[in-house]
Amino acid sequence: MIEVDGLTVRYGGVTSLDAMSLTFEQGTCGLIGPNGAGKTTFFNVLSGFVRPAAGAVRAFGVDLLSMAHYRRARWGVRRTFQTEQAIEELSVFDNVAMVHEHSRLGGASRRADVLDAITFTGLDADPETKVRTLGAGQRRLVEVARAVVGRPRLVLLDEPAAGLPDEETSHLAEVIRRIPEHTGALAILVDHDMSLVSACCATTAVLDFGKLIASGPTAAVLRDDAVIRAYLGVA
Amino acid sequence: MPPWVDFEPFIVSGLALGGVYALSGVGLVVLYRATGVLYLAFGAIGALGALIAWSLTTRAGAPGWAGWLVCVAVAGAVTLGYGLLFGPALARRDPLIKAVATIGLTLILYGVMDLLWTTSGGQARSLTLPTDNGGFTVAQIQVTWTQVIALAAGVVLTVGTGTFLRFTKLGTAMRAMANDRDITATLGVPVRRVEAAAWLGCGILGGIAGLLLADLVALDATTLTFLVISSLAAVLIARLRSITVTFVAAIVIGLLHDLLTPIASLTSYRDMTPFVIAAIGLLVLSRHQVMTQSREEA
Amino acid sequence: MSGTVRATLERASPARIARRPTRPQLIKASVTTVLLLFAFFALPELLSLYYIDTMTQVAVYSMVTLALGLLVGRVGLFSLGQAAVLAIGAWAAARLLFATTQPYPLVLLEAGLITMVAGLLIGLPALRLRGLYLALITLMLAGSITVVLATVNFPNGGHGFLGYNGGLLHIPPIRRPSIAASDPAYYRFSVVIAIVMFALVLAHIKTKPGRAWAAIRQSEPAALAAGINIWFYKLWAFALASFITGVAGGVLAGAIHYLYSINFPTQDSITLLAVTLMGGVFSLWGAVVAGLLYQFLPALLNNWGVSADWLIILFGLGVLQVLTTAPAGLADQVPRDLRRLGHLLGTRIRRFRRGPGGDGA
Repeated sequence: MIEVDGLTVRYGGVTSLDAMSLTFEQGTCGLIGPNGAGKTTFFNVLSGFVRPAAGAVRAFGVDLLSMAHYRRARWGVRRTFQTEQAIEELSVFDNVAMVHEHSRLGGASRRADVLDAITFTGLDADPETKVRTLGAGQRRLVEVARAVVGRPRLVLLDEPAAGLPDEETSHLAEVIRRIPEHTGALAILVDHDMSLVSACCATTAVLDFGKLIASGPTAAVLRDDAVIRAYLGVA
Repeated sequence: MPPWVDFEPFIVSGLALGGVYALSGVGLVVLYRATGVLYLAFGAIGALGALIAWSLTTRAGAPGWAGWLVCVAVAGAVTLGYGLLFGPALARRDPLIKAVATIGLTLILYGVMDLLWTTSGGQARSLTLPTDNGGFTVAQIQVTWTQVIALAAGVVLTVGTGTFLRFTKLGTAMRAMANDRDITATLGVPVRRVEAAAWLGCGILGGIAGLLLADLVALDATTLTFLVISSLAAVLIARLRSITVTFVAAIVIGLLHDLLTPIASLTSYRDMTPFVIAAIGLLVLSRHQVMTQSREEA
Repeated sequence: MSGTVRATLERASPARIARRPTRPQLIKASVTTVLLLFAFFALPELLSLYYIDTMTQVAVYSMVTLALGLLVGRVGLFSLGQAAVLAIGAWAAARLLFATTQPYPLVLLEAGLITMVAGLLIGLPALRLRGLYLALITLMLAGSITVVLATVNFPNGGHGFLGYNGGLLHIPPIRRPSIAASDPAYYRFSVVIAIVMFALVLAHIKTKPGRAWAAIRQSEPAALAAGINIWFYKLWAFALASFITGVAGGVLAGAIHYLYSINFPTQDSITLLAVTLMGGVFSLWGAVVAGLLYQFLPALLNNWGVSADWLIILFGLGVLQVLTTAPAGLADQVPRDLRRLGHLLGTRIRRFRRGPGGDGA
């Protein structure tokens, strides 16, 4: 369970997150909102790249904001980025192994854990191939494998389906939906693709101009008037 | 500790040296703000110009002022040429890469200078300006006109450049480009022309600095090429942004360097002055933040 | 379970992370071994003393460019003061060689460690800076070290901490290892040390620090998100590079016997960076190419009576070329060009063999 309490982030004169208070219960949760609503900022706070002006985050009982950023990954915060960041000159195996070797887990289980994560994503490529030879959809799966290897506690997925064709998106949806049951982690998915969000997330929260405007079961939230107004604008 | 009177001549020479460092520093800062390039070849072009001026006046018998004009013209031309040739190719790269590229230019110039004006053979060259001979006395300290010019040039150019940047159209364009080159281009500012102006201006300042330093310090390719590091120190303390801070830092560096001369225990270390000041300045200033290049903040 | 992943699991043993080498890797390893054996055994027999001394210098400076390449290529740190670090290593080795009777390899290790500590002391505060500022502070610190060394001088057998006696009339030469006193033998010794240093770097690249460096170079946010302590790994690279350069300094001390501050001028740092960029910062062979550019070509030109200044100009042009077009340098570009040439020749030969009256000709 993740409890966010009064989280506020300011860049110069802009307030990216405005006293956001929200609780993520379990499973895969969606986080949507128009561009500039503060979703990536929220992820940046959780990853430790941005310091909030005010507020607190408790993840599984631990005060997340007091941890140094690289320690959070060790603790179990995993993240994918809007522009995918798999390391090109390393192999698929090395990319995933790198996350494992910087976590709390030891070397004995490494090979098994890494191959398990790769299998989980359904990536059909030799783990020894260099990532630079892979296509966009495959690279996204490598990123997901990096996010689920070992014992993650919080998996943050930032627009993982961006730029992918439909069949790869539906495969990705399947994978994302199964993350909590496979790893025991809580997953938060940010995306603009509503069918993806509906397919994976039991609950969804909506941000607009840094404020939380709705949260609850996904189907209900997507029909909420306030949400539709936020996306389409007031007439 | 030597008596005060021993320090007096060094106050004057220190201020003069600081003046030239300030002049160089301002040139470096303005170019950086307009193009993102830290022009490490600044000393080398000044050295090249000074050596050409020397050859013209002592070997070809040309009058002094012709030599100076050629010096400034060559320095300006080489700098402008480099900017036009390599500026666009590297425009989108990291400031670090752009600066390292100017190291390439430095090496080329250095090789050319050593080839054409070899230092082996023990012949020491010197460049004297007619203003070395005249002067006046202030409180029993001798001051030559060259030293006055050096300090005055530093002051005038700092004030002048600041005014230029703030009040002229070209200056405002340069400040806009320092902020964001692409957006400035979309506003209809002739970006290429503004950049060319910045390169040319920096080159001209390099030529002037080269002449003054050749006179005040030594006419030697190595010395002059690497003397840019002292101006770099001032520019670093100003974080490549403020002209005023550059000026003050440059004066302090010049003064401190020369004032250490009469102190027997420290005099052989005085060449460390710019390095130490820059290092301390950088580390103190970076205490609270991780410093990134101002043009390329993530 | 996907087919290829299952195949990987079945191929490998669960106990160790074994990767069967591929054919190109085997070819590369064999070529490397042959070249190294040639360099060690055959080269000293074939060359004159002048060139043997040159090749010793190549070995020394290949280690320096190896360290520089590590910093620039793997971690993105452009050190503008590597000559000063080399000077520290040479100073430490000379001091120990005069003051003690320790065996040479031990002195090299100690010189490397001393230089590493110096590198760490610099790196700890300096690594808070990034990019351009970090490069410039290495220039500033190197300048300071150069001035200090010019004043305190290199050890020449004197007493006291600095080991320098200004009044000595006959300065003793810095000793060499007893089994490698002659020039050809000392050349072989320097080659062995260089191989050890290269192996040390290879060991790093293939394991955890290498992966972390690759991640840091591509994207610091992604590295952070993977749990990598960026500052720690940058410091590690700094320490390793300083250690290797220090060892190189120690080998240099024995090579030239007498050390003066003019052996380590400021422009050397810049030229070293230039040749490192030209040789290529992403491959170990690039460091050797850089060493050859830096020491072998000047010696060659010197022998032919051509001024080495032409090389300085060439290096300047090389920097500009590398930065504007080929970021991976010669060591990457030349094999690629050779392969392309080989491919071109192959198709020409095949077309020729088919001859007139062949299919569709």
